[in-house]
Amino acid sequence: MENYNSAYFKQLAKQLRFDLSDQEAQDIVAEFDTLLNQLSLLETIDTEGVTEMVLPFEDETTFMREDTVKNVFTVEEAMANAPKSKNDYFVTVKVVI
Amino acid sequence: MNIKETIKLSTPIERVEKALKLAHQGQPFLNAVVTFVDTEKQLDNLQNINPDAPFYGIPIVLKDNVNMKSVKTTGGSHILANYISQYNATITDRLQAAGAIVIAKSSMDELGMGGTNLTAATGPVYNPYDLSRMSGGSSGGSAVLVASGVVPFAIGTDTGDSVRKPASFNGIIGVKPSYGRISRYGIIPYASSLDHVGYFTRNVSDAALALEVLAGRDDQDMTSSFIEVEKYSVDLTGDLSGRKIGYIANVVRAIENQDVLAMFNRLIENMRIAGAEVVSIEMNEDLLNAILPTYYIIANSEATANHSNLDGLRFGVQQAGNDIEEIMSASRTAGFGKLIRKRFVIGSFSLFVENQEKLFRKAQKVRRLIVEDLHRALNGVDGLIAPASGYGAPKLQDTSLDQLSSRYLVAENFMVISNFSGTPSLTQPLGYVDGLPVGINLICHPFEEKKMFEIAAGLEKLTGLADCIREVGE
Amino acid sequence: MNYETVIGIEIHCELKTKTKMFSSAPVSFAKHQNSCVNEIDLGHPGTLPSVNKEAVIQALKACMALNCTIDPVIRFDRKNYYYPDLPKGYQITQQFHPVGLRGSVTIETAAGKRDVRINRLHMEEDTAKQFHYATETWIDYNRAGTPLVEIVSEPDMRSADEAVAFVEKLRTLLYYLGVSDVKMEEGSMRCDINISLRPEGTTEYGVKTEIKNLNSINNIRLAVESEIIRQTAILSAGDKVEQATRRYDDTLKSTVMMRKKEGNVDYKYFPEPNIPPIRLAAEWIEEIRSSLPELPEQRSIRYTEVLGLSDYDAKILTQNKELSDYFDEVLNYTTFTKLAANWCISELPAYVSQENLSELHTTLTPKSLASMIDKIGQNIVSSKQAKEIFPHLIKGESLQSIIDRLHISQVSDTAELSDIINKTLDEQPQSIVDYHNGKDRALGFLVGQIMKKTKGQANPVVTNELLLAELTRRKPE
Repeated sequence: MENYNSAYFKQLAKQLRFDLSDQEAQDIVAEFDTLLNQLSLLETIDTEGVTEMVLPFEDETTFMREDTVKNVFTVEEAMANAPKSKNDYFVTVKVVI
Repeated sequence: MNIKETIKLSTPIERVEKALKLAHQGQPFLNAVVTFVDTEKQLDNLQNINPDAPFYGIPIVLKDNVNMKSVKTTGGSHILANYISQYNATITDRLQAAGAIVIAKSSMDELGMGGTNLTAATGPVYNPYDLSRMSGGSSGGSAVLVASGVVPFAIGTDTGDSVRKPASFNGIIGVKPSYGRISRYGIIPYASSLDHVGYFTRNVSDAALALEVLAGRDDQDMTSSFIEVEKYSVDLTGDLSGRKIGYIANVVRAIENQDVLAMFNRLIENMRIAGAEVVSIEMNEDLLNAILPTYYIIANSEATANHSNLDGLRFGVQQAGNDIEEIMSASRTAGFGKLIRKRFVIGSFSLFVENQEKLFRKAQKVRRLIVEDLHRALNGVDGLIAPASGYGAPKLQDTSLDQLSSRYLVAENFMVISNFSGTPSLTQPLGYVDGLPVGINLICHPFEEKKMFEIAAGLEKLTGLADCIREVGE
Repeated sequence: MNYETVIGIEIHCELKTKTKMFSSAPVSFAKHQNSCVNEIDLGHPGTLPSVNKEAVIQALKACMALNCTIDPVIRFDRKNYYYPDLPKGYQITQQFHPVGLRGSVTIETAAGKRDVRINRLHMEEDTAKQFHYATETWIDYNRAGTPLVEIVSEPDMRSADEAVAFVEKLRTLLYYLGVSDVKMEEGSMRCDINISLRPEGTTEYGVKTEIKNLNSINNIRLAVESEIIRQTAILSAGDKVEQATRRYDDTLKSTVMMRKKEGNVDYKYFPEPNIPPIRLAAEWIEEIRSSLPELPEQRSIRYTEVLGLSDYDAKILTQNKELSDYFDEVLNYTTFTKLAANWCISELPAYVSQENLSELHTTLTPKSLASMIDKIGQNIVSSKQAKEIFPHLIKGESLQSIIDRLHISQVSDTAELSDIINKTLDEQPQSIVDYHNGKDRALGFLVGQIMKKTKGQANPVVTNELLLAELTRRKPE
């Protein structure tokens, strides 16, 4: 078992663009242990030669959408929920590349 | 009284006013409503709808992950506390076209990720049968609004039993049809490969009717099925003779409550008397035990990706920050409750390149094995049954439902196999334990919903439990 | 120590569909900001993608033109990362199963021909446009969701010339297919170059630098050249090249550091669960293949082998699709192939600029040009006279009207010409003697005299023929 400690999970959370408090990170460490135990249960199941199941029904579809304009927002609808906007642009703090 | 009869005996306005009255009356006790929806325009619009429409003037409730244009849709999360839908979910359109009047958006576990409804941004939802107990989740609000008599129909979603478990805790019917049977377009997702739109009613006749309204191919949802929609509500005789039903032995064995077992066995006896052959079916115990970790990994991984759009930039509640990362982080930290942040972390962990093979893809492989085992169990029978839960609704302080437990509970988690496999499944009332409802769960073959409603109608006759209402307030 | 340059190129190309890759909102062209979006493009909660059939068709055409093996099952994956221009917080792309694999294109430079292998071609969706100001960034989501094909080459190119030739070849092919406007300056085609050096004769790849932000063919050349100089200097000094991303700076005329490559980002790719695998029928794919327009290489072969044009002529004609199309149209109305080719290659471009070629047929119809070419070919009008006619023809005036108005006619009638020739020879007996004594200028003098008599309208070819015949007849004993 590698170092799955509070710091590790805090860093993981950062990558997901949110923070964890010390307590929250601790809780995850505790629950993670349980998760690992449950995962070892998964490992006991032989999946040799078994392919992943992505969707419950694996039929291929032949459907593709026709290239016709159908559904467009008005600019008002597009901007209706914008926390910050100017001249119909969504505005945010300057993004550094 | 079913919906068809209701329509004949009152006017739309009468029905809607009564529903609103009951909703407001019960709200301080149940806390099931997030937003009351304006009904005036909807009632006006009825003049454009054929009075023979199946849901004509029937008040209904939508779980708050269903988009309804110009109405707040929060998904049970603080991050969407101010989000006003700019489009209708496909089912919203279909229900309104059938004459339904949406009176409220109902409370849910945050973003559908929970089984207690304790994580809703608007606070817990309480059980009408015992206000010191939880409604169950994640579709708790919808469940209690049907169970307390406010509306005869409410939409929920079922990713890992989130319709069928609360149905059991509230003495009503919870339906999860086959995957792709009902369009998911416009429904805030949890895990795309497991999400199903489902619903609550108080009797089988309504459940069958509702599917006729909701089901059908939607080109906006590429996973929706092309299979023809049948007339599910026609000729629901409830005749069980000649049916062969299996009960899942592993689940029954795992139930500790003797009262539940007694009710279940009594039902089986009555089924045999009614002419059904009822056999014990053994499923693979290891695979059943693997359900929870498999579900946890797949669901949380997909959910993490699905909610990456919630960053406070184009919609939702934004928090301040000095740079873009800070703004996103602050918004997501304040906006997401600690339970789902925990789940996102674990979900993300499973998707890292170095972990995917052992975790995410392993879980997807085990999913296939579980599904194959289910099909083996279903082979030769019309359906499988088992108690939907080993007990009635837990007390509010019981948080064990939301934590991974080292003690694995087959009885409490087996219904997820219908999410893995896409098989249609419903829960209906079985009886009462210490005054609390307990349900029975039925699983059928993919797209055999008509048969499922037939069997359910038969079971409903045997239990005599339909249209059970527990009013609250007053 | 001599170093060999190794170049690989990645191209992103916007497709010319009416709607987005996964939504039915329109693809925008310089429209009001945030006016070409719907809930899907903005990544609103609850939306689901639906695949654009025309985008798939255009991607298939591109695969065919690049000789790729086509995967008949279309599958999509999610590429997960956070950025303000990425509304869903993931991009739907084709990581595991690109629609096209293992293709190739042939390029030609002064150093010769080379087959450049194509590693993959796949479909994905474009991001929003960001506008950076002093303290704010403004975002327009119109571009978000536009269908893209990403084309990745193997590191097969060895010089700036080859890099340029590759990009130009791809641009021409995609333009011919009608699947993209391929305007680098407008961003409908974007190039990233990966370049590294290694000691000549070795096979191991050196550390590569990625160059982004190349918005013109010329900048590609300049960037590659400046990068070769930079990397050579580093390696010659015994140092190591750092893996990094650089961009080309127009003012400095060299590449500058953008960011160091910090380890590899884990995009956590997994299959898109909202799109089931899409099976493309084999017959349908073949239908698309038969509907492909004739591509530059095939046309070139037709021009040289069937029509007998020179390699050079074929190259010039096929470089520009509008010109080639026009030329083919002209050939529907005249059989004087070489003449038609000359006019299209030399004369037309002098009067009509590159961009206006596409409108050409509205004023100078192929039929009209063909009719003039016919008259030249039939010796009714001389080349010189044609050049007088042409400026008027291009303005849309009919050939006959021009001929009448300018009194252009050529004397080709044998009897008439013979008459004039005889008269001239009668008047210039000394010239006959001079001609037969080997004085070349005598012939020219005689032709000049004939021209004078006919006011320049004597058909030179016929005149020459008759004159020579008559001169032979009048050879002094």
